[in-house]
Amino acid sequence: MENKPGALARVVGLFHQRGYNIDSLHVDPIEDFEPFRFIEDELGIKFQVGEVSRLTIRTTVGDRLMRQILRQINKLIEVIAVSDEESTYLKGILRNENLL
Amino acid sequence: MKIAGNDILIQSLINEGVEYIFGYPGGAALHIYDAIFNQKEMQHILVRHEQGATHAADGYARATGKPGVVLVTSGPGATNAITGIATAFMDSIPMIVISGQVQSHLIGTDAFQETDMIGVSRPIVKHSFTVDKQENIAQIVAEAFHIATSGRQGPVLIDIPKDLTNPDDLFDFEYPKSVHIRSYNPPVRPENHQVSRAVDAMIASERPVIYAGGGTISSNASEELRELNKILDFPVTNTLMGLGVFPGTDKRFLGMLGMHGTYQANMAMHNADLIIALGARFDDRITNAPDKFAPRAKVIHFDVDHSSVSKIIEADIAVFGQIKDSLQVINNHLKTRKEEIDHEKLIPWHEQINEWRNKHGLNHDLYKNEDDDSPILPQAAVQHIYQESKGKAFVTSDVGQHQMFAAQYYHFDEPRKWINSGGLGTMGFGLPSAMGVKLAYPDEEVICITGEGSIQMCIQELSTCSQYKLPVKIFNINNMALGMVKQWQDMNYDGRHSSISYEDSLPDFVGLVESYGHVGIKITKNSELKDGIAKALSLKDKLVFVDIYVDPEEHVYPMQVANGSLKDLWLGKGEKT
Ligand SMILES: Cc1ncc(C[n+]2csc(CCOP(=O)(O)OP(=O)(O)O)c2C)c(N)n1
Ligand SMILES: [Mg+2]
Repeated sequence: MENKPGALARVVGLFHQRGYNIDSLHVDPIEDFEPFRFIEDELGIKFQVGEVSRLTIRTTVGDRLMRQILRQINKLIEVIAVSDEESTYLKGILRNENLL
Repeated sequence: MKIAGNDILIQSLINEGVEYIFGYPGGAALHIYDAIFNQKEMQHILVRHEQGATHAADGYARATGKPGVVLVTSGPGATNAITGIATAFMDSIPMIVISGQVQSHLIGTDAFQETDMIGVSRPIVKHSFTVDKQENIAQIVAEAFHIATSGRQGPVLIDIPKDLTNPDDLFDFEYPKSVHIRSYNPPVRPENHQVSRAVDAMIASERPVIYAGGGTISSNASEELRELNKILDFPVTNTLMGLGVFPGTDKRFLGMLGMHGTYQANMAMHNADLIIALGARFDDRITNAPDKFAPRAKVIHFDVDHSSVSKIIEADIAVFGQIKDSLQVINNHLKTRKEEIDHEKLIPWHEQINEWRNKHGLNHDLYKNEDDDSPILPQAAVQHIYQESKGKAFVTSDVGQHQMFAAQYYHFDEPRKWINSGGLGTMGFGLPSAMGVKLAYPDEEVICITGEGSIQMCIQELSTCSQYKLPVKIFNINNMALGMVKQWQDMNYDGRHSSISYEDSLPDFVGLVESYGHVGIKITKNSELKDGIAKALSLKDKLVFVDIYVDPEEHVYPMQVANGSLKDLWLGKGEKT
């Protein structure tokens, strides 16, 4: 997600608002962009150091709710991409579940 | 040319084509108000309560399709706007709310009138911005309008500390020509494979229903829907939010569906083999128990918001994009496969629907009763309003029985004419939203159908109507009680009427409105209804408040039986399907 003030609060707030649990949460700025090149390619953008953060959340839910959580997170304006072990959602690119 | 933050803000709004800004001043917004004073392009409408500002902007947005704009001060000004922001959010209405904030260096110190408005509003806005420096104001305004009006629309908040609108600090101003946000890219046109699967299912169906909601209106897809119906000849139902997107008087129209929907609409959905959902979100007032919902239906879900699809009812086919664009593509596909479309195949289905309609459909002729020995039925009052306004008015409403009667008995043939708080169900919405509509369309008839409970939640706006000469027509369906709550108490609490009446303390509404310079008419008999309503509508440049005393014992039917399927309906007191 974009490293902007308030962005983290929106994600965390969303979990509470929609009744999902957070088991653990970890956030730090991305310094090595190598694993994220596919996002840059798909969206046609270039990340700069300090601009984006990676947020890792652990939660325990069923498949259907997981899909709903991913879609709700993906809707937040400052989120660039969101994925679980199976699918990745990218802004505007993915119109269906499992692009990758 | 260099200008100050307050002027940058106002000039940015003017660049967006804003004609009205609804607001209420206070300390943190004073520099902004000074900038408003110094320009002529945009008119500020001074309401009497910030909730009124948000609903007025909302009504303006629903009627025009353009975003409504609100300006409030920090602290109580901002928190008073919350109900209206939540109302707009639930119904996906484009709105820009600008809230003043205490000076930057005071933030976090519990300063006078400091509220964390970004925090308070977070779950009820599509997005929000805190202005960090004057140089960013124009860009933020441009992004806010872009976000509010694209994809699934919604309210966007801009919180701006007072020092950033200080008239003494000058900056370059240039308004962005276009906006691109790299992490925001809502779908517009559907994917091909989604379209061809949807078209196959439409052609194969024998018992289809088109279920169109508010998203069809937001997307301005009424014409495309009418064309789809011309090609396919499918029956159409609308949600409370979708009324008008398909003509209410069309022979294929089933009426509204859901909790107080018609028998034929709910039965058609229950028995359908195909449901085509257009910009509708299967909320609990539609589906009743989701596990019993339309057991034999395949679902095609058209929506611009990924997260709405398969949230409650699993979609078999999803078509992501603006409804307008998606339907254009679908209609073109269907036209190329014209010879496969078989209208004859649908005849038994249409016959079945007509049978349902004849058996338990609504009675639209109640207004013909002129017998003064029986009390006025609220349904008949709405029918008279429909007749006298020739079905052409913009109608805003509040929340309760009167709202459901309005939805059931006023037939809307055009989108954006029926303006009500569907998702949040906000009492107090009716009058201020009517003001917003009247400002947008001064030459059109604007009617507010309200209840004596709801109207008192924003009644202070009668004063705003005097100030700006807004001759809306208010029809108060007066059952001397919180009727909808009473109905639930009758049905679920053995008639224990806990805190729903105020019979002895209701104001004399006629006297009340006259004190604001308006006209009041009181109606207590069936024989007075037609002429009283006609007279109100004939007073073109007066706000007229018609206080109609109706039968306090009436219930709204049909009504879904709690936790049942769509075919489980109460049809009258003690009478079930
Ligand atoms: C702000 C708000 N508070 C409470 C409710 C719950 N509520 C729903 S309908 C209703 C009664 C409305 O009374 P009235 O406006 O007289 O309409 P009626 O049902 O009598 O036609 C109430 C209290 C609500 N929808 N909104
Ligand atoms: Mg009432």
